[in-house]
Amino acid sequence: MFIHGFAAFVAEVTVDKPTGLLGSLATGAEDFIAVFNKGGSVLLSLMGGILPTLVVLLTAVNALVRLIGPEKIENLGKAAARPGLQWYPVRYIILPFAAVFMLTNPMAYTMGRFLPERFKPAFYDSAVSFVHPTLGIFPHVNPGELFVYLGIATGIQQLGLGLGDLAVRYLLVGIVVIFIRGVLTEIITSKMMSRAEKKGA
Amino acid sequence: MDGLNRLIVKVGRSVGGVVGILFQSGRDSVDTVIRNVIPFMAFISFIIGLILTTGIGDFIANGIKGSASSIGGLLLISLVCSIPLLSPLLGPGAVIAQIVGTLLGVEIGKGNIPPQFALPALFAINPQVGCDFIPVGLALGDAEPETVEIGVPAVLFSRLVTGPLSVVIAYFASFGLYSTTK
Repeated sequence: MFIHGFAAFVAEVTVDKPTGLLGSLATGAEDFIAVFNKGGSVLLSLMGGILPTLVVLLTAVNALVRLIGPEKIENLGKAAARPGLQWYPVRYIILPFAAVFMLTNPMAYTMGRFLPERFKPAFYDSAVSFVHPTLGIFPHVNPGELFVYLGIATGIQQLGLGLGDLAVRYLLVGIVVIFIRGVLTEIITSKMMSRAEKKGA
Repeated sequence: MDGLNRLIVKVGRSVGGVVGILFQSGRDSVDTVIRNVIPFMAFISFIIGLILTTGIGDFIANGIKGSASSIGGLLLISLVCSIPLLSPLLGPGAVIAQIVGTLLGVEIGKGNIPPQFALPALFAINPQVGCDFIPVGLALGDAEPETVEIGVPAVLFSRLVTGPLSVVIAYFASFGLYSTTK
């Protein structure tokens, strides 16, 4: 308080901007600390803006997952292992979605154990590609990598635009992409497996 | 009287169970936030501070403005990130994706990149997702060593196609996103 008042008093006396070697050192010091002042204010705005919501949301979703019980999705894993065209969406959309939502990164990939070997790489590709598109709506799946989404989302926020549209579209496009990835990787895997078998025989 | 007693015990138990679950969830989420989220926020804040106060920002802006505000540039970014030799190196912890995302976010905030490019950019910076983790991820799914041997290149080569493809899909899905009515 006292120092603050004192500074105000001194400020009435105008001082020339420091010049020479000492002057440039002083300017350098001010520029140096300005970087961290700016960083600090960014940190505060992140922690004040996003963090409280995130903690509450994480708590709610964690509780929901615990109440439902992650073991419930095992039946889904068994269903997804079936051959046939109609099980493709189950294997590369519903199962990755459920696994990522309930088990989160990285435990979601354990759901691959219900699938035959030839589907495992494709399921992994599909599931791992889904741990970021969900972040806009369900940040609990991968809070350690939140900034893949949040980095860009912060820019949108600075423009004063809503994030809902971006978050929903990110999720929907993510669903399309994981399906394509699953199908394509499955094709590549089976081609490579049959080639490896021929070589082995 | 006995029935009432049992009911009270039952209610008490289930309420206690639910409260316990909620409390444990709260503890987990606070733990995650302190261990994973805040450290990254600190690191990102430093980078943003550096970008905004020094000339680095303008330098980067000139570099990425051209590439990140056109579909061709975004395709190029995604193609580079999905090269099978590079993608496992770019993957770990999604650190690269998070830093590049933050850089793009700063430029979007400053108006150098139009906001509707946010959606394709989210996919352009991330075709390498999980490429560093394929053997571990497959092992978590109880895969045989032979499957891992084939699975790693299969996923990496698949990304070379699906990486840029995801940007194209996202680009078409971004029509009408943050469009200004003139």
